[in-house]
Amino acid sequence: MENKINLVVIGGGPGGYAAAFIAADMGMSVTLIDADKNLGGVCLNRGCIPSKALLHIAKLINEAKEASHWGIEFGEPKINIEKIRAFKNKVINKQAAGLSTLVKQRKVNYISGRASFISSTSLRIDKNDGTIENVTFDKAIIAIGSVITSIPSLEVNSKRMLNSTSALELPEIPKSLLVVGGGYIGLELGSVYSALGTKVSVVEMTAGLLPGADRDMVMHLSKRLTASFDKIMLNSKVTSIKESTNGLTVTVEAKDGKTDEIEYDYVLMSIGRRPETKGLGLENTKVEVNQRGWIVVNQQLETKDPNIYAIGDIAGEPMLAHKASHEARVAVEHIAGHKVAFEPKAIPAVVFTDPEIAWAGLTETQAREKGIKHEVAKFPWIVSGRATTLDRSDGVTKLIVDPDTQQILGVGICGPGAGELIAEGVLAIEMGANVTDVALTIHPHPTLSETVMEAAEVFLGQSPHIYRPKKS
Amino acid sequence: MKEFILPELGENIESASVLNILVKQGDYLKQEQPVLEIETDKATIEVPSNVEGLIKDLFIKEGDKVKVGQVVLRVEESLSAEKPTQVETKVVPTVETKTETKDETPSSTMQKQSTGGIVEFIIPDLGENIQSADILKVLVKVGDVIQKEDGVLEIETDKATIEVPSTVSGKILEVFIKEGDKAKVGQVALRVESVLSSEVPAQQNDIQEEEKVETTQTPTVKTTAKVEEAKINPVLQRAGLIDTQPAILPHAAPAAPSVRRLARELGVDINGIPGSGINGRISLDDVKAYVKRLNENRSTFSGSSIGIKTESLPDFSKFGNIERKPMSNIRSKTADHLSYAWATIPHVTQFDKADITDLEKVRKGLTSSAEKEGTKLTVTSFLLRIISEALTEFPQFNSSIDMERKEIIYKNYINIGVAVDTENGLIVPVVKNVIGKSIFQLSKDMNELADKARRRKIGLEDLHGGCFTISNLGGIGGTYFTPIVNSPEVAILGVSRGSFEPVYKDGEFVPRLMLPLSLSYDHRIIDGADAIRFLRWVVEALENPYRFLL
Repeated sequence: MENKINLVVIGGGPGGYAAAFIAADMGMSVTLIDADKNLGGVCLNRGCIPSKALLHIAKLINEAKEASHWGIEFGEPKINIEKIRAFKNKVINKQAAGLSTLVKQRKVNYISGRASFISSTSLRIDKNDGTIENVTFDKAIIAIGSVITSIPSLEVNSKRMLNSTSALELPEIPKSLLVVGGGYIGLELGSVYSALGTKVSVVEMTAGLLPGADRDMVMHLSKRLTASFDKIMLNSKVTSIKESTNGLTVTVEAKDGKTDEIEYDYVLMSIGRRPETKGLGLENTKVEVNQRGWIVVNQQLETKDPNIYAIGDIAGEPMLAHKASHEARVAVEHIAGHKVAFEPKAIPAVVFTDPEIAWAGLTETQAREKGIKHEVAKFPWIVSGRATTLDRSDGVTKLIVDPDTQQILGVGICGPGAGELIAEGVLAIEMGANVTDVALTIHPHPTLSETVMEAAEVFLGQSPHIYRPKKS
Repeated sequence: MKEFILPELGENIESASVLNILVKQGDYLKQEQPVLEIETDKATIEVPSNVEGLIKDLFIKEGDKVKVGQVVLRVEESLSAEKPTQVETKVVPTVETKTETKDETPSSTMQKQSTGGIVEFIIPDLGENIQSADILKVLVKVGDVIQKEDGVLEIETDKATIEVPSTVSGKILEVFIKEGDKAKVGQVALRVESVLSSEVPAQQNDIQEEEKVETTQTPTVKTTAKVEEAKINPVLQRAGLIDTQPAILPHAAPAAPSVRRLARELGVDINGIPGSGINGRISLDDVKAYVKRLNENRSTFSGSSIGIKTESLPDFSKFGNIERKPMSNIRSKTADHLSYAWATIPHVTQFDKADITDLEKVRKGLTSSAEKEGTKLTVTSFLLRIISEALTEFPQFNSSIDMERKEIIYKNYINIGVAVDTENGLIVPVVKNVIGKSIFQLSKDMNELADKARRRKIGLEDLHGGCFTISNLGGIGGTYFTPIVNSPEVAILGVSRGSFEPVYKDGEFVPRLMLPLSLSYDHRIIDGADAIRFLRWVVEALENPYRFLL
């Protein structure tokens, strides 16, 4: 028993708890330290999970509304914000309770508190109960996640000023809401509030929503949001936010320098997340942090300190829960002495708007920027039988293909359920599948998953549902 | 247009050097006509054609190294178009089929049809290494009309009980086997008055065509693997270090995550592994094969295959003029084979002397009859006969060891190899089925083989399947030597030059012709006492030639 590796994991999010559980299963003696009330990190408490619960509600509201086109009228929905909040909290608590059970079952030593390194082998924990505990370790994994980025000059001390955390608390249903930042967090939360009846506007600094994503993926979403949102201001930035009698007055400056002063009931700042290692005591270790604040790690997630690993958001982009939990496995296995590395070919990204947008591997934009030889095959959902039955032709499935080997380098999907569909694309990329492999794989009919197969057939020049006159 | 590709040459032979090309462009090539003379690791052989037609293109030249499956030449078929299936049938029974099977392959005999519509059903090949089987039930009787695929026999092999389907249709005229018999593969079981059995050979063709496809495909895979060998060394140096393998490169050959993981675990860079799949897709097997090859390379780096550290060679040119020449295939294979045998077999050599004064008289007395038979008797001719009897008497001398399975393999046949000294090196042709052959016949067989070996005409089938080896250096001289057992055989008899010696007999010294014999044996399976018993048996047989001649 004495020979057990003594592992400390700092942070109980999807990276941290996964690391703790895997390590415990591998026979290590594990201490898991988390400052939050509940395990699960941002993902469970203030991120992925609650937002998905609310987006599910939003989808239902929207579909009920759309049902009038199909001959079903429900009338105006009666929204009980208290109950919605309770539902959301129930979801969180259920998941958190599950994690607590798993902690006990695995006999992980779980400590509520804030940890900071004293040295490369010891930590001080300021426990939530006010006491202090020092622990030593053979190996430590830092999985503290990231924090919300804010712009201090725009911060107003007002309950009307929301960030992703407070927005998920659902203080009330605002009459109007300005979402600052057209990234996935802002658009997801904006969609929730929009469905609940808020007039939502978005201001985005760049020329389009979801910067970084391929434009043809975003197109259908933009179209839908333009219809459901009040206003989408691109190439614009917020220069000031002032509290006014009935809300917040926001000055928006367009690219041409023209400014507008608009009053909103609430403002949601959603300009991103960033790493934060302050207070972690890294100065007492050999851990290095790069200029942008991320802890420097190698392929095995080792920091510059041989005893300390870092995983998840704090170890670099993309800041996604599934990346963190995969890194957790690699780090723990490496600690256990296995020869492993974090070397995925694709990390999927999903935006849970309506329509959803998901991609994996190489995007068309990246391929073009990096000058990577590629070909694109697209299957528009307008010809998908399943999409038609859903009355949702606003989707597209596309493959980014290496023209020489016909290997699939990237997959992009826009449409309802894209987040589920992308998994096939990830598997195809990881397995090194070529378009023929996908085209020859029988997909169930009628499903949206067929669009992946048909996109492959488009590449091969013979999709049954797309007619292309032969070139003479 | 038809292509002639280098056929399978036998066990693990992937390539060969072209010594002579026996045809030229514009020649009319016939089936079975020799096309090439090639040197493989084991012997120099002539490769006969399996195509017929006017030679249009010749793709190789003398001195080339050709690979199995490589296109050698292309012919234009003039009039063979109407019989393509027949040609196909002959295409495949290449050298391999000939060497593998002792007598006649069941597949070829199965097609043999009596002209009068009478066909034989022969116990077919029952699968890997199954030579014979017990007949549990005979499911048909004389007068029955059977169809192809009808069950005929129920047999029990060491692996399973199988119902054997008929390959012929018709009315059964005779049944040659009964329940409880032990039937051998290739044995005639039934004679049937055929109704329509022309389909049988067609089916055979299909199978053989499949085989052909396989043989042409494998070499290409192997080739790609070989090309990569040059890249190994840098990787090898890195292999020992932990976790320095880079991640798979964005445009690298496809490899699934499990495959990448295995490569990392085994300490090799996935990017350097040659894949055998489409677009170089790397499979788990590719990774394992690559690592195996690395390890093999590593062991040859550090010494011989058994891990003995090699001493580096001095710079001989410091001491005088030198010349370096590549080893011939035969020489390098011999070196490998003998190193292996020497390193793995615990050798003991037993010496003895045989008084062959009387045998010499017999031999000389038979000279004229031998000449009439068209051959020449030597001591080795007698030894072939004596050893075959000795092997029957001492079966452990006719065995092989399977150390992996901890089993001893006893052979119910006797083939004896005779070492022949040729210009191209040591060759050991095998005299087959020695049991029951007359000394004249054995002598004839052996001389033919030796002659073929010296003229580089020996076929690979003549070099396989030995049970015991005789190495007679007596023609040159010497008293005793310690021959190396020709593994997987377990014993070898070395024969030196006979000479007259004074032998104390009946109270006086008399001159007797004494033949020095050296028996090396594998001590893992043969004990010293058995060895001397065996050798004494041989000596006594030599000393009493009439005993075995009668």
